[in-house]
Amino acid sequence: MSPLTHQTTPYVPDWKEVRAALTEAARERILILDGAMGTMIQRLKLTEENFRGERFRNWNLPLQGNNDLLVLTEPERIEEIHYQYFMAGADIAETNTFSATSVAQADYGCESAVYDINYQGVVVARRAAQRAEAEDGRRRFVAGALGPTNKTSSMSTDVNSPGHRSITFDELVVAYGEAIRGLLDAGADLLLFETITDTLNTKAGIFAAQRLFEERGIDVPIMISGTITDLSGRTLSGQTPTAFWYSVRHANPLTIGLNCALGANAMRAHLGELSDVADTFICAYPNAGLPNAFGQYDESPEFMAEQIEGFAAAGYVNIVGGCCGSTPDHIRAIAQAVSKHKPRVIPEPERLLRLAGLEPFTLTKDIPFVNVGERTNVTGSARFRKLITAGDYTAALDVARDQVANGAQIIDINMDEGLIDSQQVMIEFLNLLAAEPDIAKVPLMIDSSKWEVIEAGLKCVQGKALVNSISMKEGEEQFLHYARLVRAYGAAVVVMAFDEQGQADTLERKVEICTRAYKLLTEEVGFPPEDIVFDPNVFAIATGIEEHNGYGVAFIEATKQITQTLPHVHVSGGISNLSFSFRGNEPVREAMHAVFLYYAIQNGMDMGIVNAGQLAVYESIDPELRDACEDVILNRNPDATDRLLALAERYRGTAGKEAAAKDMSWREKPVEERIAHALVNGITEFIDADTEEARQKYPRPLHVIEGPLMAGMGVVGDLFGSGKMFLPQVVKSARVMKQAVALLLPYMEAEKNANGDAAGRQSAGKVLMATVKGDVHDIGKNIVGVVLSCNNYEIIDLGVMVPAATILETAKRENVDIIGLSGLITPSLDEMAHVAAEMEREGFDIPLLIGGATTSRVHTAVKIHPRYQAGQAVHVNDASRAVGVVGNLLSKDTKISFIEDIRAEYAKAAAAHERAESEKRRIPLAQARANSFKPDWDNYTPPLPSFLGTRVFDDFDLAELAGFIDWTPFFQTWELKGRYPAILEDERQGEAARSLFADAQKMLGQIIDEKWFKPRAVVGFWPANAVGDDIRLFKDEARAEELATLFTLRQQLTKRDGKPNMALSDFVAPVGKPDYMGGFVVTAGLEEVEIAERFERQNDDYSSILVKALADRFAEALAEQMHQRVRKEFWGYAPDESLSADELLAETYQGIRPAPGYPAQPDHTEKTTLFRLLDAESSAGVKLTESYAMWPGSSVSGLYFSHPDAYYFGVAKVERDQVMDYAERKGMSVAEVERWLGPILNYIPGPAIVAAE
Amino acid sequence: MSRIEPIPVMLVTEPMRLTALDPDTALLRLPANTGHGHGDGEQCVACAMRTDVRALLFDLLEAAKQELRPAFRRVIVDASAVADQGKVVAALTGKLPAQALRDHTVARLFYLVG
Repeated sequence: MSPLTHQTTPYVPDWKEVRAALTEAARERILILDGAMGTMIQRLKLTEENFRGERFRNWNLPLQGNNDLLVLTEPERIEEIHYQYFMAGADIAETNTFSATSVAQADYGCESAVYDINYQGVVVARRAAQRAEAEDGRRRFVAGALGPTNKTSSMSTDVNSPGHRSITFDELVVAYGEAIRGLLDAGADLLLFETITDTLNTKAGIFAAQRLFEERGIDVPIMISGTITDLSGRTLSGQTPTAFWYSVRHANPLTIGLNCALGANAMRAHLGELSDVADTFICAYPNAGLPNAFGQYDESPEFMAEQIEGFAAAGYVNIVGGCCGSTPDHIRAIAQAVSKHKPRVIPEPERLLRLAGLEPFTLTKDIPFVNVGERTNVTGSARFRKLITAGDYTAALDVARDQVANGAQIIDINMDEGLIDSQQVMIEFLNLLAAEPDIAKVPLMIDSSKWEVIEAGLKCVQGKALVNSISMKEGEEQFLHYARLVRAYGAAVVVMAFDEQGQADTLERKVEICTRAYKLLTEEVGFPPEDIVFDPNVFAIATGIEEHNGYGVAFIEATKQITQTLPHVHVSGGISNLSFSFRGNEPVREAMHAVFLYYAIQNGMDMGIVNAGQLAVYESIDPELRDACEDVILNRNPDATDRLLALAERYRGTAGKEAAAKDMSWREKPVEERIAHALVNGITEFIDADTEEARQKYPRPLHVIEGPLMAGMGVVGDLFGSGKMFLPQVVKSARVMKQAVALLLPYMEAEKNANGDAAGRQSAGKVLMATVKGDVHDIGKNIVGVVLSCNNYEIIDLGVMVPAATILETAKRENVDIIGLSGLITPSLDEMAHVAAEMEREGFDIPLLIGGATTSRVHTAVKIHPRYQAGQAVHVNDASRAVGVVGNLLSKDTKISFIEDIRAEYAKAAAAHERAESEKRRIPLAQARANSFKPDWDNYTPPLPSFLGTRVFDDFDLAELAGFIDWTPFFQTWELKGRYPAILEDERQGEAARSLFADAQKMLGQIIDEKWFKPRAVVGFWPANAVGDDIRLFKDEARAEELATLFTLRQQLTKRDGKPNMALSDFVAPVGKPDYMGGFVVTAGLEEVEIAERFERQNDDYSSILVKALADRFAEALAEQMHQRVRKEFWGYAPDESLSADELLAETYQGIRPAPGYPAQPDHTEKTTLFRLLDAESSAGVKLTESYAMWPGSSVSGLYFSHPDAYYFGVAKVERDQVMDYAERKGMSVAEVERWLGPILNYIPGPAIVAAE
Repeated sequence: MSRIEPIPVMLVTEPMRLTALDPDTALLRLPANTGHGHGDGEQCVACAMRTDVRALLFDLLEAAKQELRPAFRRVIVDASAVADQGKVVAALTGKLPAQALRDHTVARLFYLVG
């Protein structure tokens, strides 16, 4: 370091005084910023030696061009340039620190010099300022310059991978933070974010600055300056000038403006726009025109001054200066030219909610009500949830795009779905969305009940978003904390009327909480009131409970008082809650919503999350209904609810087929219609008689099938296809159909024997179906079979555990048209790929359908499709799709184009998959281990189980077990999507769900009364300790003799926010601290198989599927009950636990029971050890197949962990290093491990030629 | 926003006599350098608009949108003056790092033919 830098003690400005002084001066005259530093440095013609100086003499990279270093190596020369600018008339100098962040300095390997450059950059400029002040007595200011860095956080650098980011918000906060510390430690008067190309980068810079201000209790004035080079008038990151301003306004900057770019003229229009909207000073410092052919800027000082004078004359500017190409001569000319003009007067824009995407949005008085688009909300849209959980971001983005195209002014993004990593998905979706200008143009509502998800989302958006929501639920302090962060990320906020005591339901509480929140936000946080949206809670009315009657009025009145007493705020709410008690009655619900909004909007509500397509027009509602709605909403008379209820019956459009079934008038109709009715409604009661009647009426029995029966099934097919019938109903229809056909068959046989030439029934095609070798799950396959047979396909069902050879032989012998494979456990994925390869080898070219819980479109595209090029593999995710797919594949007309579409789709899916995988960063095993989960073992004593070794149970009360059943998956089996019990009241599926549930309850009664199932269970506990990623089990407490080792896998995903990389072994104490492990196998028993077959023989597929589905539930219930007994009794660490069934299902208890083969330990082969320890085959009668599926199928196994912090996590993908390590630990070959872990390998198995980086 | 059909881009790499252009085709001539004192082919934020094929294509789109020039359905890019034509190809095939949101738009709306 030069001696000069040592002797300077920093001058520490009083920033409040600086702000006041600058504000005063800028109101009096147009202030002058300096000109280009780079242009002046270029003129010095410095060499590599100048750049290196003493400090970097032996640097191993060339440093010429790293201009910022010169404040360390040539400080006098830089000081001289500053001095020249000051003497030319500049009031403010920018430090020579444009690239002095660790991000930009990385190009020169100079990250370690970042702090010093910033510090010395200020010191050098300050010396020049003091010299100039001494000379003419005029005050000078030093602005610490912060460039955009050379990376961008709001978009991808790879156009083929738009979700990728080369730098994150958090990394930028660190980088900017370091630079700002240097600038402020040395006493910069201001901070200047300049040449902004990416607003999100700058938001990170602002965030870093404000954190530092808060830490030090200071408030340094900030200047913000963007760059626009496009003809479109956008920043490089795509924002309009106004959107840019809205996005950074939370920094409360002293100035906003533009610099660099294509010269003064090209800047003028954009500057005019900013000048109109910004309620702060405007600063402009353009380039000296465009560089000309000789590398000289073509604007002379006079010419440039003339143009900038134009800005001043138009009243656009408060501070002007020059960027690239300008010199002290330019600045002198500019200063002179603008001195004749008055500075711009800061406008006082109305206090309105102003948000931004790529384009600005202002909630003006002309917009009475903002409809927030709700279709990109997984809790609001079933379709969107499906797309997101399936990872189909392309289609999910289309949903967002349509929403914007249809006029949504703001779109709500909510990823609160239990099955996905909401935070990660929020990040991924927002990053992808950012690359779609036609979506990203509107502002976003970042919506989550989890603060981490909101915060992660805020770090991805360059615009000004709206957070939904925060509240005082967790107390004042937490509320203030969140509010400050929302503000620091530059967003507006929805505040729920919710405090420590709960949600506000009365007028008084609503107003009181909102008033309190308003005071805190505006007075403690400095939140602009126009950025606050209150949600005073819409609750259900007309529920029959008297205290609910006032909820409507309370909301409307609260809205009125809130908007009248709390200036500038907004009121929003989720409307659909209001009419909760009229679920299933859309006309009444729509009317209630319309009436409610009519009054709420009049009283100040101006925003809401509503489904715009489902809103009645107030005026067009039937006056009687409207009146009744007004009565309940406004609580106008005590019998309002009863009146609306009575009236509602009339509007209950399709008042339910339950009622229709009891109505016997259909029996009066002609036989064809009766048959159709019986089929559609699944009524078997009269089908024999009706079929017989039809047989006598028609010339031949075949005509009955091809006539009324097929016509009836056609109706069923249409209703199913259009979503008006649901799977359980279709399966019931099939039962009616089968029964009718069974009655006709003997006559057809007789006819055939009599004539010998009668044509048999013409089927639409032959479909062979099988659950692959090693797998025993067949409910889904059976459902698909039933649905297809309803559509006149002939089904050959080979059952479960079918080897490839059997499938192919049968297919050849029967000359089938299509093969369908099913499987549930992950090893079946490989088996399916094997069958596909065998089909190719044997010369098949018929279509191959792939289905089952673990299969996916991506897996089919990537793993199965390439192995079967001769034919076409198609993934069919549910029974509803199967009919369409099979129809298309077997139709001469559509087959070719359908296959082309599939292939195109798979090519896309495969490419997207590859890209997505390569984007996910995974870390080396050693690093993952270093970041393992480390409970505080020193202060924790693991509980001792009540017994060691195993114990068998076979005395179960089926009725008691039934109480543990989780019904939600039961409905999923039947493709009814939703949670139990809400599903029973679902608008669309409710009726089907209720009927299915009634049938299930009936069968459940029989199962219990007639003891259909004989469940068994085996549970064991052993002394255990973690050894690395493994869990060692010992024979006894001496822990000397090893009994077995359970191997576990560790997450290798890059973790954020200090979250650990988990492995199951983390939940077990290391050697030296006695700990234990448990294991279990439970089964509903083999009886289920026989009962199901009996039903099938009776042509009752419905009951057959039902009993299997119930057996599965029993096995799960048994596992749940045993786990409870383990916690309370056998391991006994939670003897006092008393949880309701719902709480049990929510898994709020201590300890977990993960199963090998599932996300926390994806290796199915680990079951071998567990089964050996428990001797499960003889103790519980459960066997493992060659694919490690359990037989009988209705069985559950798993390990017990007791640690209080144990939770279910997913290992996700693993790298080669872990697989090699795991294989060695486990004594398995790498190839074998790779085979079993196939679905979770994050690489393509094969010899590792190149060592992993 | 209405969907725009992807626009084919033909690259000319050698100086040649250009035949008459049909009215649906826009011609884009890339200069050898920005004149900004950088080496040939180099650029900065401010002058990218002068040489960067993607920025220039985006500008063509914008100009057509703002009706500053006739609409077009094809583009011929004359890169014969450019020293590093590989960079132009890389930019048109999505291999050059994107520096602005417009680069993503261009990548979706234009594709290289021939």
